[in-house]
Amino acid sequence: MTALRQAVREQAGPGLLLLLSTVLLLLAVGAGTGIGEMAIPIDTTFFAVTNRLGWSAVDLDPIHQSVIWDYRLSRSLVAACCGAGLALCGAILQSLLRNALAEPYVLGVSAGASTGAVGIIVLGLGAGSITISAGAFVGAFASFAFVALLSNGARGGAGKTILAGVAASQLFNALTSYIVSTSANAQQARDVMFWLLGSFGGVRWSEFQLILVVVIIGFCVCIYFARALDAFAFGDDAAASLGIPVRTVRIVLFGVTALMTATIVSMVGSIGFVGLVVPHAARFIVGPSHERLLPTCVVGGGIFMVLADIVSRVVLPQQVLPIGVVTALVGVPFFSVILYRTERAR
Amino acid sequence: MGIIIASTLSANPASAAPTAYPLTLNNCGVDVTFEKAPERAIALGQNSAEIMLLLGLENHMAGTAFWPSRVLPELAKANEQVKLLSVESPSLEAILTERPDFVAAQLLNLLGPESKIAKREDFANLGIPSYVSPGVCATNHDSGDVHGARTDLWNMDLLYQEITELSQIFDVADRGQQVIADFKAREAALRQRVSGESQDLSIVFWFSSPSPADDAYLGGKNGASGFIADLLGGHNVMQTDVEWPTVSWEGIIATNPGVIVIAELDRNRWELDKPEAKIAFLKSDPAVSQLEAVKNGYIVTMDGQAMNPTIRTIYGAEQVADQLEELGLFK
Repeated sequence: MTALRQAVREQAGPGLLLLLSTVLLLLAVGAGTGIGEMAIPIDTTFFAVTNRLGWSAVDLDPIHQSVIWDYRLSRSLVAACCGAGLALCGAILQSLLRNALAEPYVLGVSAGASTGAVGIIVLGLGAGSITISAGAFVGAFASFAFVALLSNGARGGAGKTILAGVAASQLFNALTSYIVSTSANAQQARDVMFWLLGSFGGVRWSEFQLILVVVIIGFCVCIYFARALDAFAFGDDAAASLGIPVRTVRIVLFGVTALMTATIVSMVGSIGFVGLVVPHAARFIVGPSHERLLPTCVVGGGIFMVLADIVSRVVLPQQVLPIGVVTALVGVPFFSVILYRTERAR
Repeated sequence: MGIIIASTLSANPASAAPTAYPLTLNNCGVDVTFEKAPERAIALGQNSAEIMLLLGLENHMAGTAFWPSRVLPELAKANEQVKLLSVESPSLEAILTERPDFVAAQLLNLLGPESKIAKREDFANLGIPSYVSPGVCATNHDSGDVHGARTDLWNMDLLYQEITELSQIFDVADRGQQVIADFKAREAALRQRVSGESQDLSIVFWFSSPSPADDAYLGGKNGASGFIADLLGGHNVMQTDVEWPTVSWEGIIATNPGVIVIAELDRNRWELDKPEAKIAFLKSDPAVSQLEAVKNGYIVTMDGQAMNPTIRTIYGAEQVADQLEELGLFK
C-alpha cells in the first residue's frame, strides 16, 4: 500500500492514474449491470446494452432487456454520479473549511431536504402537484440559504460556517420531527425513514441525465479552482496574499457544493459516509494537490457507490437494503484499514 | 387459454356477463388493456392479495408482497399456493423474475410515480398491465397525501369498485358479484342488528402507543374506524379529519368514550401493540382507569388491520358487534 502510494505520487502521471481509475469505474458499472437478483447470462447482459446502443440486434427476452437497460444500467450510472458528486463535495468542503470532519451535509442541506420531503409526504403540501424530490430540493436550498446568511452575518470564517451548519441542521431536524410527530401516521413515518436512509430504487434514465449534468458542471467549477483550493490549506490570509479572491471563491464553491448535494439528496435521499471518507482515502493515494485529488474523488466515489449499491441489491433476497446502511457498513471497515495503514506509514 | 376460460364459465353458470377481451379499463387516470385473463398476477399489498384470493384466483397468481398482518384465516390455505415474494417491499427484479402478466397494488408507494419499488411505466413498457387500488387514488387526489386525510366518511364503495374491476380483469365477474353481495348483506345485517334501539355509542378506536407514557395512536372519524362506528349505530369520539390522530390520554378522557375498541396487532414493535398490554394499561393508569368505559368493562378487541380501509374492515365491524352484543350494549 505504501509502495503503491509512493509509486502513484512520484511516477504515475495524472493521465495514467485517470485512465486506470476510469477503467475501474467502467468495470464497476459493468458489474452493477451484470449482477442482480434475476439470473441473467453475461452474454445477454452484453447484448442488452449493445442492442439499445444500436450496435447489435440480438433477439432477447424483453424482460431481461428491460431489467439490464432500464433498471440496472441507469441505476448504476446514477449511483456512480451520486458517489462522484458526494465525494467531490466532501473534498471541497474539507479544504474550504479546513476541517477533516467536514462532509456534504455540513451545510445543513440534508436536514433541509428532509424537512422539504416530509412536508410533501406528511402534510401533502402542493396537493400532489409537487413531487417529493422537488420539495426536498427546495428544503435543501432553504437550509443552505439559512447557513449562508448566518455565517455571513457572523463575518465568515470556517469555524462560523460549521457552527451555522450545525444550527441549521438542528433547526430543520426539529422541524421534521415536529411535522412527523404531530401529523404522520405509522406508515408515513416509515416512508419518511425509508426516504431519509436513501435508495436508488426510484431512479431511471431521466434522473441520470439530470445528475450527470449537475455533477459535470460541479466538477468543472471545482477543478477550475483547484489551485486556489491548494492555497486555502494554508489559511485564508495566505490564500489572499497569493492574490486569490477568498470571499468570491468561497461563495462560488459553497454554492456549487450545495447545488450538487441538494440535487443528490432530493433524488436518492441522504446517503452518508461517502462524502466524508472517499476524499480522505483519495488524499492517501494521490496526496493533497487538488488537481489530482478532485478527479480521484470523482472516480473513487463513483466506484464505491456502485459497489455499495450492488451489495444493497443482492445481500437480502428479494428485498433492497437502504443504501445508506450499506455505505456505512461497507465503508467503515474499509476506512479503518486506511486509517491503520496511514498510521503505520508514518 | 381459451379452454381454461371456457371451463370456468361452464362450471359457473353466468349471472354477470363474461368479460369480452380485449378489456380496457381506466384505472387512476391510466388506460390499461387486457388481452386475456392474467395467468401470473402479482399482488402488491395485503388487501390486493386478499381480494384476489377471495375471488378464488390463487391459480392465477404468481406472487404476493407487503403483508402488514396475517392472512385472513379462511384464505390461508389458498394463500399457501401462492409464492410470497416478501412480507415487506419487494424489489422490482424480484417482481419481474416471476414473469408477471399483471401487477395490482394497494398503495402508491408500492406502485406509483414516486415509488422506490416500481412505477406503472416500468410494467407498461414491457406490455404488462398494472392496477392501483381506486381507494388510494381517490384519497390522493383529494389531499395530495398518499395515505389520505378524508373530508367525507369512508365507505365500501371504492372497495366494491375494486372487486368488480378485478373480477372483470380475471373474467370471474360472477364470483366478484357474489363477494360484493356477501359483503353488502353483512353490512346490512350489522345495520339491522343495531337498528332496533339506537343508543349512539361513542367509541374510541385505539390502534397502539409506543409506550404508556406516549400519546395514543387512534383511528380517525372519517377512516375505516369511523365507518365501523357508523355501521354500529355509534360515532367515533375523535372529531378531526385526520385519518390517524395521535392524542394524549387527557384528550381521550375529555371525550369520555362509552366503549373502547383496542386493536389486536400481529406485529410486536411497540410496547402497547398487544391487546393484553393495552388492557393492563387501561386498568392500571390512575386517570384512565377512572373512565366509565373502563370501570364498566366496555373494552372490546378488534383485528387492527380492520382499521385500515380494506376488506378486513367489515370483519372487524362484526367482531366488535359480537362483543358489544355479549356486553349487552345492543338491545
